[in-house]
Amino acid sequence: MKANVINYAVAFFIILLLNFLLPRLMPGDPLMAIYGEETLLSMTQEHKSQLADSFGLDKPLWKQFFIYLYNLARGDMGYSHYHNTPVLKVIISYLPWTLLLMGTALILSTVFGIIAGIESGWRRGKSLDKVLLTSMMSLSGFPSFFIGIIFLLTFSVTLGILPLQGAKTAYSELSGFALFLDVVKHLILPLASLALVFVSGSYLLTRNTMVTILKESFILTAKAKGLRDRKIRYKHAGRNSMLPVITQTGIGFGTRLITGALFIEVVFSYPGMGNLIYNSLLMRDYPVLQGSLLMITVLVLGINLTVDLLYRKLDPRVGNAR
Amino acid sequence: MHVRLLIKIKEDIFGKLGLVLMALFIFSALILPFIFHDTESHSQTIFGPPSSGHILGTNDVGQDIFSRLIHGTRTSVFVAVGAGFLSTLISTFVGVSAGIIGGIYDKILMRLVDALLVIPTIVILILTASYINPGVWVLTLLISLLYWQGGARVIRSQTLSLKERMHISAARTFGAGRWYIIFRHIIPDLGPILVVSFIHRARMAVFMEAGLAFIGIADPLMISWGMMMHHALKFYYLPVWKWWLIPPGVALSLLIISFAFLGYSLEKVLEPRLRNA
Repeated sequence: MKANVINYAVAFFIILLLNFLLPRLMPGDPLMAIYGEETLLSMTQEHKSQLADSFGLDKPLWKQFFIYLYNLARGDMGYSHYHNTPVLKVIISYLPWTLLLMGTALILSTVFGIIAGIESGWRRGKSLDKVLLTSMMSLSGFPSFFIGIIFLLTFSVTLGILPLQGAKTAYSELSGFALFLDVVKHLILPLASLALVFVSGSYLLTRNTMVTILKESFILTAKAKGLRDRKIRYKHAGRNSMLPVITQTGIGFGTRLITGALFIEVVFSYPGMGNLIYNSLLMRDYPVLQGSLLMITVLVLGINLTVDLLYRKLDPRVGNAR
Repeated sequence: MHVRLLIKIKEDIFGKLGLVLMALFIFSALILPFIFHDTESHSQTIFGPPSSGHILGTNDVGQDIFSRLIHGTRTSVFVAVGAGFLSTLISTFVGVSAGIIGGIYDKILMRLVDALLVIPTIVILILTASYINPGVWVLTLLISLLYWQGGARVIRSQTLSLKERMHISAARTFGAGRWYIIFRHIIPDLGPILVVSFIHRARMAVFMEAGLAFIGIADPLMISWGMMMHHALKFYYLPVWKWWLIPPGVALSLLIISFAFLGYSLEKVLEPRLRNA
């Protein structure tokens, strides 16, 4: 438990250090690396020296690091000259969309994966199992962004039944239920792509556990008692098959989720963190890039820690294992 | 752990499919680029549809798409093999040495591994790549350095268990030294696990290379499937996506699927409870 929190602290520190060191160790003017070339060219000499001062760029590296930490602690992640807004504010306006996309995809894929896994494992070797297994295996090969591209080309470009990009219709003064519908319509395709990427993981795990659990003697007992198939399938075997889905998706789960979301947002120009990163890469808006990556680190570490603690609660064996 | 891997894999339908696909990709990565070598010259027609001269038409600057697709295979296979090999090498070194030496060395390394396991590695990749726009070599190195931790844990625990086995104790009583035991007994016994690890890392590496190229932070001169998709997606409103955007996507998916199939059938061989599943 304690050791665990230390892991997360170490992980966070590594990212902080990289975020601080990389731009400052790049050859050339560190201000250039921190702010990007284009922004710097438009600055006056006075503004530049003022900025260099605020980062303490003339001081030794370790002092600069403390200045960096101090600014972060105050919530000051710098200023985006491209957005003409403080970085933190930019990030906060993009973050909710990523959370919405990731959250819904997580729920959908887990529920479907577990149900499909239970049914498939129960019917092992039958035709439904074979079809499900083959399609899920193939699905796990498709890179997230290519699934997104196929959906985009099919439903938005060719059929024209779903919106091409964004999270809601621009400049429309929708409110209430109409706004909700509009948001859902824009969410469907990115959500479907992301959920499809993750469904195979929870499906395969559930199916494999189902296969081993069905051989256990308590299943035989349940059958001997004359319980109905459905009850055995879900109450006895199914419930026990769910555990590894949570435990095994636990480690590094947040990372996989965010990686998928980042790429898919780029495909659909969905205004979340992925798109923000993509645009700041294009615009060389380095302050926003570094801020976003830091925010994602915090987010992912948070998710991973939660899953970690949660599964210790669900499976007491894990807590005692170390 | 002495399983005849290749024979077992060939008995499995997923394994067979994976092997065939893999062979196809390796063939086209090694041989075909010499036949379709013209990736750069600009023809008169841009966005040309498929024709006898250009099997998959031409792109926005009139380059032959099919040649670029073939050369993209080379990039992907190189990254797969390179990063798969290198990261497995790192995880073997860390895992075996931690398992054998133990003590404080083991503790420190495993703490680092645990920290790396929870870190969003994509963040480090994007951050580094945005500053250096890596080419194939640097990208392979970067990916290897960031994706060895999962394998290291598995290899370490396997080493710990192997260390106590009978045949190793027997070798020790015959006077075998530490290095002899590591290279003649432990590493060969780890064989199947190393193969699985290699396949998983290779698959991850192919995906990461394509993903980074897709969001446009790899070396712009590199010819890669991800890069092709990056450029092609900008012209989604033209019919050109049929021969420019879809083919690299399909190729990429097939390559990753072949790794996934191979990995799955290998795991089935190594996990007897799942056999005949």
